[in-house]
Amino acid sequence: MDETETILGIDLGTTFSLVAYADEEGPHIIRDETGEGRLPSVIGVVPSPEGGKPQVTIGWTARNHAVENPRTTVHSIKRLIGKGMDDIREELPFLAYAVTAGPRDTLQVEIDGGRYTPEEISSVILRALRERAEHHLGRAVRKAVITVPAYFDDAQRQATRDAGQAAGLEVVRIINEPTAAALAYGIGVREALEHGAAPAPARTESGHVSLPQPTYPQGPSDKPANASAAAQTVAVYDLGGGTFDVSILRIEQGVFQVLSTAGDTHLGGDDFDREIIKLVQREVQEQFALPIDSPTTRQALRGFAEAVKIRLSEQGQANLELDLGDERVYRRTITREEYEALIDELVERTLVLCRHALRDAGLSPRDVEQIVLVGGSTRIPLVRRRVEEAFDRPPYTALNPDEVVAIGAAMQASVLSGAATDMLLLDVTPLSLGIETMGGAVGKLIVRNTTIPCRATEMFTTFVDGQTAIKIKVLQGERELAADCRTLGEFELRGIPAMPAGLPKVEVEFLIDANGILNVAAREQRSGKQAGIQVVPNHGLTRDEVARITRESIEFAREDIDAHRRIDLVNQVEFDTHKAEQMLAKVGERLEPAERERIERDIAALRKLAAETQDLDELHHALDAFGKSTLHLAEIGISAALAGKDEDR
Amino acid sequence: MASNANTSRGTVPAKCVSCDRSMDSPLFCAHCRTLYPADDVSHFELFGLEPSYDQDPEVIRRTYLNLARAIHPDRFPRAAEEVERLSERVSARVNRAFQTLSDPVLRAEYLLEMLGGKSATQDKNVPAEVLSRTLMLREEIEEAKASDDQESLGRLRAQVGKLCEQTLAAVAELARRLPGDEKCRQALRAKLNSMKYYQKLLEQL
Repeated sequence: MDETETILGIDLGTTFSLVAYADEEGPHIIRDETGEGRLPSVIGVVPSPEGGKPQVTIGWTARNHAVENPRTTVHSIKRLIGKGMDDIREELPFLAYAVTAGPRDTLQVEIDGGRYTPEEISSVILRALRERAEHHLGRAVRKAVITVPAYFDDAQRQATRDAGQAAGLEVVRIINEPTAAALAYGIGVREALEHGAAPAPARTESGHVSLPQPTYPQGPSDKPANASAAAQTVAVYDLGGGTFDVSILRIEQGVFQVLSTAGDTHLGGDDFDREIIKLVQREVQEQFALPIDSPTTRQALRGFAEAVKIRLSEQGQANLELDLGDERVYRRTITREEYEALIDELVERTLVLCRHALRDAGLSPRDVEQIVLVGGSTRIPLVRRRVEEAFDRPPYTALNPDEVVAIGAAMQASVLSGAATDMLLLDVTPLSLGIETMGGAVGKLIVRNTTIPCRATEMFTTFVDGQTAIKIKVLQGERELAADCRTLGEFELRGIPAMPAGLPKVEVEFLIDANGILNVAAREQRSGKQAGIQVVPNHGLTRDEVARITRESIEFAREDIDAHRRIDLVNQVEFDTHKAEQMLAKVGERLEPAERERIERDIAALRKLAAETQDLDELHHALDAFGKSTLHLAEIGISAALAGKDEDR
Repeated sequence: MASNANTSRGTVPAKCVSCDRSMDSPLFCAHCRTLYPADDVSHFELFGLEPSYDQDPEVIRRTYLNLARAIHPDRFPRAAEEVERLSERVSARVNRAFQTLSDPVLRAEYLLEMLGGKSATQDKNVPAEVLSRTLMLREEIEEAKASDDQESLGRLRAQVGKLCEQTLAAVAELARRLPGDEKCRQALRAKLNSMKYYQKLLEQL
């Protein structure tokens, strides 16, 4: 394969993102120095310790310091991408950072006085993934397949593509997460993932996992595992950090045909956490008449609730304890049953959507031969139980739900690089597409669950003599009234030849491409020339804005990855040791003297190493070790922050 | 299929304009992979089928998968933009043909219009008893929904399902007689229009 043509597969998740690629041996997740494939989809902007230029942190670092920097740490940006202010009102109370409305029905995140679009924030994460891949592969990478929830609408897909472009990546295809998972499941990576990913991935020297790939297609003669087998009907139940999708597929002779999909782009692990947050907020208010709602506590409660949720997936109960200061301690035990009662309604919503998908596919639960679970939230026992009841069959849980989407994206990338030729994805558009007609009704042009690419044409004309432009409002959704659908945008047809009213015949073509993205083209037929008409979208980012983000990226362009990694690590050492010193000064008296002394020694040792060593992996490991050795201190610090520090409200 | 030799292929040449070899499909050349829009070719012809109501769903499906494998945009990586656009268009065309041919109601409707029958916008005639029955059922459905009466909803679902089944049987019988006479085509149109009313009801359930 042409070396420059490596196409990455990227799972840009609400909570975590991953990058993978495929070579002759098959797909590989690209991991960091510690063997971790997941990069938290979190970015933080922190003031430099010396008061210099603020630093941008990404991933684990940003996530671990979220509580100290509540207003400048941006998480779950995927829930905002491609959305307008009206779409996210319910979201706002749970975000610690500030969100404002931008032009053309877009959103902007305010960090430290700067305003950034969700595309820009996402591009920082994508850039970090791209650099991870370049570092691993030892060469520049310019192309990627990025996954999105199947239920993402046109605006969300466009915005994701723009984010990729701003990260210096040509997004050769947007594919749906459940479809990517099905690809990984169906092609026979299944076995490799089962053995490779649980419990610990087998590592090679270079730090990435090589999946044993006897069944991965390498050429036309090498059929995928299911090629000879009969068709199989599969449901992919994908419950991630922020979104839920269910897709029903038929897998036959290497063709992955999506029959239907349903979902909710605002239903995921974040919502499960919020049930715990709401419980704690309510009870603290009742017991202590204390509102806990500042940005700091919002960030702290997020981490707290997530930890409780994970514990309750493994154990029957979890203890909650919050030191609220002034000897006020909120303490209670929550059992799994209590928690399940809190989230039951959310889980039920996913099952209703499963029934919708089945109905649209014309199938009953019995027809589904396998249910593949994807997404971290499918680790919740209640979810597994309910899915099993709904389909009357135990779900398939052997795949690593965190990695399967990225693996599938890498496999689709290898199709699009021309390397794999015997598999094909046939996906559908999740939402009906229509135009606003007289009186605010919706004229449907393409119904949901139509296989893409798909196309519809419609004739338009003018109402006034000499009119040269027509506006078309395009909508996505299932409701009868335009006001109830999501306005995908307004397109303006310009350059219609001046004629008496009603005479021009403008044929407008609406084509949803293989990315699930709408392309609008128009031509006037009466003038005989079939003149091309300019179609101007009036929503989302303009091309100029995408170009600007690309130019002025929050992150800096990297010429020398190693040199840059060194700067990052040294900065991180500086930041972490400084933070530890600050915490020692504040809450150090709560530690045993021995622990205190040890931490002081560790700080000095780490600083010395950062100044002297040339071995970046050694420094990285030392930094990780330091994080662990100061964990106890950090916990006390967070607890103290929760206890009193509501001044930054 | 051999019978295709006699049927017109509209704008599609019998030989590929690129490589001058004969073509099996009106959509693409199997030798050099040149794509053709084939706008004037019927859905049946695209799939190499006789234009008739009765079809084997397995044949339609297999043909579809083979066509998709040949023309899908994923099959033209690194191609010029015009080729990519054309493969999108051709894929959209094949997807629509598959959707139409595999659904008995859409298939009957397509065949009717292909053979000179009126479209739903040209002839909106629905028998009066269908209209009144639909109105009545809609009211009952709304009532049952409002009071969350699962038993009634189940009964209504079965009732509307039965109506769909009966209407589809009538559609099939008339569609088999196509092209038929004007009376037959009008009767089929009315049955198809009725079917849409019932299908809408079923969606509400």
